[in-house]
This record gives sequence, structure tokens and C-alpha cells, in this order.
Amino acid sequence: MTAVAQDLPGVADATTDALLSVDGLRVEFGPADAPLVAVKDVGLTIAPGEIVGLIGESGSGKSLTCRSIMRLIGAPGRVTAGTVDFEGRDVLAMSSKELRDFRAHDVGMIYQDPFSSLNPVMRIGDHLRETLRANRGMSKAEARAEGIALLERVGIPDPERRYLSYPHELSGGMRQRVMIALATASRPRLLLADEPTTALDVTTQAQILDLLTDMRRELGMAVLVVSHDFGVIAQVCDRVCVMYGGHVVETGPVERIYADPQHPYTKALLDSVPDMESAGNPVRREGIPGYPPELTDVLPGCVFAPRCAHARPGCTSVPMVLQPVDAAAPDAGSTACPVRPFSVGGPFDPVAGSPPDPVAVPVSPQPAAATAAMTAAETAARAQTGDPGDLPAPGEARITQPTDQESTR
Amino acid sequence: MTGEPILHVEGVTKTFGMRRTLRERVGRAEAAEHRAVDDVSFTVGRGEILGLAGGSGSGKTTLARCLIRLVEPDSGAVRLGDDDVLAAKGADLRELRRRMQMVFQDPYASLNPRMTVGTALHEAGRVHRRPGSEDADRFVTELLARVHLSPTIAARRPRELSGGQRQRVAVARALAVGPEVLIADEAVSALDVSVQAQLLNLFLDLRDELGVAIVFVAHQLAVIAEVADRVAIMHQGRMVEIGDAGVVLRDPQHEYTRALLAAHPHPDPRGRAGVA
Amino acid sequence: MSTATLTPPARPSAAGRLLRRVWRQPLPVRIGGVLVGILVFAAVFAPLLAPYGQNDLDFNAQLQGPSLAHPMGTDDTGRDVFSRTLYGLRIDLAVVLFITYVPLPIGVLMGAIAGYFGGKVDLVISRIIDITIAFPFIVLVIAIVAIVGPGLTGIMIGVPIVAWALYARLARSEMLVLREQPFMLATTALGYTRRRAILRHAVPNLMRSSLIYSTVDLVVNLLLLAGLSYLGLGMQPPNAELGTIIAEGQANLLNAWWITTLPGLVLVVFGVGVGLIGDGLSDGELRGGGA
Repeated sequence: MTAVAQDLPGVADATTDALLSVDGLRVEFGPADAPLVAVKDVGLTIAPGEIVGLIGESGSGKSLTCRSIMRLIGAPGRVTAGTVDFEGRDVLAMSSKELRDFRAHDVGMIYQDPFSSLNPVMRIGDHLRETLRANRGMSKAEARAEGIALLERVGIPDPERRYLSYPHELSGGMRQRVMIALATASRPRLLLADEPTTALDVTTQAQILDLLTDMRRELGMAVLVVSHDFGVIAQVCDRVCVMYGGHVVETGPVERIYADPQHPYTKALLDSVPDMESAGNPVRREGIPGYPPELTDVLPGCVFAPRCAHARPGCTSVPMVLQPVDAAAPDAGSTACPVRPFSVGGPFDPVAGSPPDPVAVPVSPQPAAATAAMTAAETAARAQTGDPGDLPAPGEARITQPTDQESTR
Repeated sequence: MTGEPILHVEGVTKTFGMRRTLRERVGRAEAAEHRAVDDVSFTVGRGEILGLAGGSGSGKTTLARCLIRLVEPDSGAVRLGDDDVLAAKGADLRELRRRMQMVFQDPYASLNPRMTVGTALHEAGRVHRRPGSEDADRFVTELLARVHLSPTIAARRPRELSGGQRQRVAVARALAVGPEVLIADEAVSALDVSVQAQLLNLFLDLRDELGVAIVFVAHQLAVIAEVADRVAIMHQGRMVEIGDAGVVLRDPQHEYTRALLAAHPHPDPRGRAGVA
Repeated sequence: MSTATLTPPARPSAAGRLLRRVWRQPLPVRIGGVLVGILVFAAVFAPLLAPYGQNDLDFNAQLQGPSLAHPMGTDDTGRDVFSRTLYGLRIDLAVVLFITYVPLPIGVLMGAIAGYFGGKVDLVISRIIDITIAFPFIVLVIAIVAIVGPGLTGIMIGVPIVAWALYARLARSEMLVLREQPFMLATTALGYTRRRAILRHAVPNLMRSSLIYSTVDLVVNLLLLAGLSYLGLGMQPPNAELGTIIAEGQANLLNAWWITTLPGLVLVVFGVGVGLIGDGLSDGELRGGGA
């Protein structure tokens, strides 16, 4: 853990004095009578000054979860259940004025594509000045001085000249720095970074990740990093939430997740990450057989069961509920896998219907009743996405992923 | 190197000119130009996988496209076996292109959205009168099996497939014409890691079973480390380093290679920079 | 007229399948489809539906208002406006379909070729397109009419000579994007001929936007045809054509409004119907034959 993280309040208490806490979030698309559920009952918390990673593959719902925090889900998508609590205020219940205020002052966001997120006909300075005047009520002269200071803070050389540049005159890394300057112009307490380095070269990526860590240290700002790349998450995050098929399947400190994953998906994901160590003697990784579930797939029980090497018959009926990895060590996080430890075929211990002790679980526990009800509704049709390299059953392959497209573009 | 050299590249250079101003056209001033590929030479052996790495703008994709003349190089030589690729015309060029196939990065755009998988695969075989292509169903089924896909997807269109499946179809289409060299241009970069691993295995299988040579272009060094026998590093149009994968990636000689390796995000959080 | 659409399809014929396919489209497309369908039906079966001949004079029934005997009234020579409108619609739709959908594939092909090859080929085709679009169109039609004589032939030659250029320009700009798509690069890499790449891979992907644009073109061409006939360059009297009916009626506009207004309304209905279909097309992929 970094020095900053150690100064933070204990992770176990995160639910009580969290900066942000998301609970029971559900995002749907399509017709109301037969919705496609992209995010199913997701919870996570972020403490002040903490960097949390949200990792998952395409279609896992990680980007939608991130956007829900700012209520940026556009039609036809909609949040149909859950709460997003920011310092005691419910973001999902805010009026449009409150929401504008919240977006302007409390939270900033940067996106994957630094090429299209700046308006090509506006100078860098125009972007900054607009934000500073609107959100911080500065005069023209003040905004200019502050704008240049912001550019300097995000490590842009010769900020006075860059203040007058157009976006196309800057490299991708520089543009992402400008985005970070814009997103942090009003000194938000939370920065949402949706695949912030996916479009950048590795050398630039390392610099941007360093910048995020520096900004956290200097501003005491919490950051949510959404990424499909565990390498990125491992560089900057204190804690990780692993998402799969619209659920959080495991959460915990990044070191523990890497060294001792307690969900088979996390383990398989880490095992799939290509490694420099194989240089010279190529290896064959198993990857994960099959393909990630589509929105149209309705999977009762554990969403990962069809691709899981450790799946048991009971896995198709267990609720997706996070339980503490180690009851004695609440900091260690939690997992949705009832088989623990799964790697040695441990006892099958599903949650029997009562929610786990909320105090013992660092990241918001799912209300088991709601989960069970949902599971029952989904038990109707059991679709298979299983056999390696082969197709899902006919009729379920039509690809409808309206927005969660980050890692596949 | 696994087999005798099949693809020879010598001094290939490609310059993209900036639009010349009137003064430059009239006067003697040289137009500003950008050397995308600058005097690059290498060979690839039969059954060998050559990893081609570099940052964006390093020229690796332009170089890959020069090999089959999707981009016309300004100078240099490309030979496939004994045949001069750059001098070929018409039917000869089409035949040379058949022998060198390409798989592109974007699995959402590399298949014609209006064609079913089966039509696209069969067309490729039929155009070049490949053995077995008279029997469309069997030809398609065998190709799909080669890339571990079920024959049922022959009737589908690309939009009904996942990214990993599309990329397999793209590989199958390349195989349909019986290539000797496969150029994979960031072919796994857009895929999820779990699916990426399956595709990397597929490329290794194709090399082992069919003996095709593969030029594997990728920006992620770790991906290249997983499959390549030899590695070439591109930087600003030049090939700054080439050699056995184990040597280049473990004991890099060029400072750019070292910088790339240092910036590579390692999944182990304990090794991260700046830990207090 | 409404009874015609209520008749259940007797057999699952091609028409039946088309009807069912139309029925799965979004509501505006369905409404547009029904409007255009009624007009096309009326035009095709005009000889059966028309209660009178288009040129039957009846000097006992001059300038009569709409009635059961004459649904759209009569004109100053006692001709039945409804019958004349049906016959007029018949010839108008035929001509309009011809002058819209003959130049379309030609234009798409020229645009595809220009965009695919680029360089000198593009330069030549693009200049021809520019000249064609810049050419004074009415002057061209008058010149052609001067050669072939008055009548619809002049329009059927003159309009396609010009109209392809707009499709070509549209297709060319799309082709410039399309040719960089990996699947088009793949046609080169796979060693396909250029002919195959253009005709089999590019053109089907270029047709969509041209088809959408053609719904605008259809309406514009119908109005153009009516306008040219109004100017005396199109259909020659006494035969009916919507533009000539309207032109002939204007002398009696104040005392017999129906002669100009009701055929004009038919033009409006056709325009609205085609427009609705065009909007539906551009809003998204039409729902295909599948589920």
C-alpha cells in the first residue's frame, strides 16, 4: 500500500465514512417488459483519497457503473434500482439543478478517447476558461491565470503557449493531461477515470498513471479507475472491484487480489494476462473458455459458472452475494464465490438467504432477498455460453451492447 | 529460426508527403515529409513468428501494409520465396497477395457486414480456385473447424458474432486462400484478455500445424513475448533492434526498447514504481 | 378505397410477405407504406378503378363540384377529375420511378469507382460530376425537348443525365471512408480483382444512403415532373398528368377549386408517405426478415 492509503481511514470502516457508496445498482436497456440488464445489483464504496480500480472485460458493466455515478446513462439505458450516495446525498434523487452542481463541483470525469473529448474548434484555453468561469465564477483574467496554473499542474510544458493551442496540435498524452486539468479544475473530491490510458502508448500511459497518483496525493482526491487491463489497475489502485456479467464478483486490496484471488474469474483473468516472462519460450495460456456473456444471456446463479473450471452443480442456483474472504480480516475484501478456497476444492458455502453481517463486509453487501428474487426470475431459461471456441446456443448471440464498448474498440 | 527464409525485406522505405505549398512546387524547396518506414530490412523463416513491436506512429502498421502492397513502398525490395513482390502486376500480384494474408485489428470492421460468414469464406476460396472449394459447405466447415468455430455460424452475419468470434472468422478467411505468410496487424489488441489468450494459441497452432510464417504486429510487448520466436522493435520508422525474443526482451540493447520495457505495466502491484 | 387495404391476403404471395414485412416496421414507416401503397395500387389499377375515361367529355356536367358521380368533380369540359387524376398518377409514378431509379445505380457505381481508385480517375469523374451539377438543368431539358419533340421522352432523357451526379457525389464521399475499412483492405489482401471489390463488396454497402436519399429525390422528381408539364415541356394534352391537370384548372381556380386542389393533395399525400418511409430508413436498419 502506498503511504497515502495507510493514512486513510481503515478500509473496513469505508461504509460508514465513505465518500461514495453505490448500492444495489441496476442498469437496464431495451423494452421495460423484457429488459436487457447490463448492470445487476452492483455495490462499491470509495473512501476519501482512495484509488479504487474497477476491472472487467467488455460487457461486464464497469463503464455503465462508472457513468451511473454521474448519472450519465443516456436513453435507452436507465438506472432502475439502487442508490448512489455521495457524502450523504442521493445522486439518483437529485433535481437537475442539484445534479448540475454535483457534476460541476464534486466529481470530475475523464474518458478513454482524448481525441474526441475535446472540441476541435475550441482552443485549450477556451475549454479551461469556460469550465472555470461557469463552475468557479472566475473573471476572465482570473480564469486565464488559473487555467495556465492547471496546465502546469498536470505537467504540460510551456503552459502559456499551450493555453492558446488547438486540440489537434497536441499529442494524445498531452490531450489526456488537458482532460485531467479540465476534470480537476473545480477540485472535485472524486475523479472518475474511464479507461484513461487505453488509447495511449505504454510510455505515455505510465506518465498519465503517475500523474493520477500525484494528483491524488496533492489534492486528496479519490479516483475510480475503470480498466480492462490489470496492469493499469496494479500500477495505481489501492483496492480493486472485479466485475463480470454485470456483477461485482470480488473485491479487496490490490495486493491480495493479485497474490491470492478468491474468485475463479479473478484467478482466470490474472492467468490470462500476457507476461513478459514468456519471452523466448512461448507459452500457451488457457485463457477462459467461451466468451463473456451477452446482455441477452440470462444466467441463473453464478454468472461465471458456464466458463468456470471449478463449477459445481450447485453453482447455477447460488445467489451472487459478496461474502468476506476472511471473517477475521475484514480488510481482505470479499468474494461472490461460495466455494472457498475454490483452488483446493474447499467447502461449498452459499449464502442461505440472510444478508451477511454488514459490518464485517467492507464493500457494500448485496441484500440477499433482492438477489434471490432476481435469481428466481432468471431461473426460467438456462442459456449456455460454455464450450471453448464455440458458439453460444442459437438465438442468444445477437450482439446488443449499447454502451459498454471500452475494451473492444 | 525455424525454417529457411521465405520473406525477404530489404531497405523498404515509405515516405508520406505533406501537401506541398505553391512556393515549394515552383521553387526548389523540399516539401515537408514524414518517413513512416525508413530503410527496414529483415527476413522471416518458414514456420517462424516474428513479433513487430513499437509505439503508435512507429511505422509498424505501415511496414506490414507495405509487405503486401496495401501501401506502395517508395524503395526497397520485398521477396516472397524467389518472387519479387514489388515488381508484380495484375494476376501475378493477386497471386502473391494470396500467398501473404493479413488479419486486421478491428474485428468489428474486418468483415463485410452484408455477407454471411459462409459466403465470405467460400468466396475467398472460390476466387483462387482453392482445392476443396467446389464443395462450399465442406470447405467452410473445415475452415471453421480449423479456427475452432462451430459450423452453425456459417449462416450468420458479422454483427451476430462476438469480437473473438469475428477475429477467428477473419483468420479463417485468410486461411481459405492457403497463405504461406500471415501478417497479423494488432490482431488481438482489441480483444478481452481471456479471449486474447485463445487467439494467441490459435496463431501458435497455425504455425505448428500448417507451418505458416507469421509477422505478428502488436504494441503490447507482453503479447509479443507470448508468441514470438524473434522480435523486431520499430521506433520512428526505423527498426532499432531485432533478434531472438528471449534476448531482445530480456537484455535489450537499444535505449528505446529499454524504455518500452520499463513502461510496460506489470500486473504485480508489488513491483510498481513510486511505492513509498 | 379503404376497403382495398382491409381485404385479407388470399394467399401468402410475394405481396402478402411484403405486407407482413411492412407491418413489422416502426409506426411512421407503416403509415408511409400504407399511404404510398394506396397510391401505387390506385395507379396500377387506374383503368379498372377509373369510373370514366381520362378524356371523356361531358358537356352536360361542366365544372361540377365533388359528388358521388364525380368524387373529385369535373373540369370545364366535363371530364372527370378523379379519373384523370388516377391516369395522371399512373403515368407520373412510372416516369418518376424511371427518372429516380435509373440514375441511382449509375451514380453509385461512378462514385464507387472514383472513391475506390482515387487519383486521376477520381479527378476526372469528380470534374464530370461538378460540371453535370453545375449545368443549367431546365436549359438542358428544353434543348432535349427541342431535339426529340415535346412529351415525356425529353424528361426521361434529361433528368437521368443530370440526376446520377448527386448519387455519384454521395457514393464517392462514402467510398472514401469505406475503402479504408479493414474489410475493404482485406479484399485487396485476399487478391480479389478490383471489379469484385467494387461490385460485390463496396456497392452493397453504399446503396443504403443512396436509397435513403432517393426517397427525397422521388418527391422532388414528382414535383419537377408536374412543374415541367405545367410549363408545357412534359405531358402533352389532352392526356392527363397531375401537373397538366393542375395547370388546366388554374383558369377556374376561384370558381372550381377542386380541379387544382384535389390532384395537388394527391401529390402532398405521396410526398408525406415517401418522406415517412425515408425517415424510417435513415433512423436505423429496417427490420429484416428475421425475428
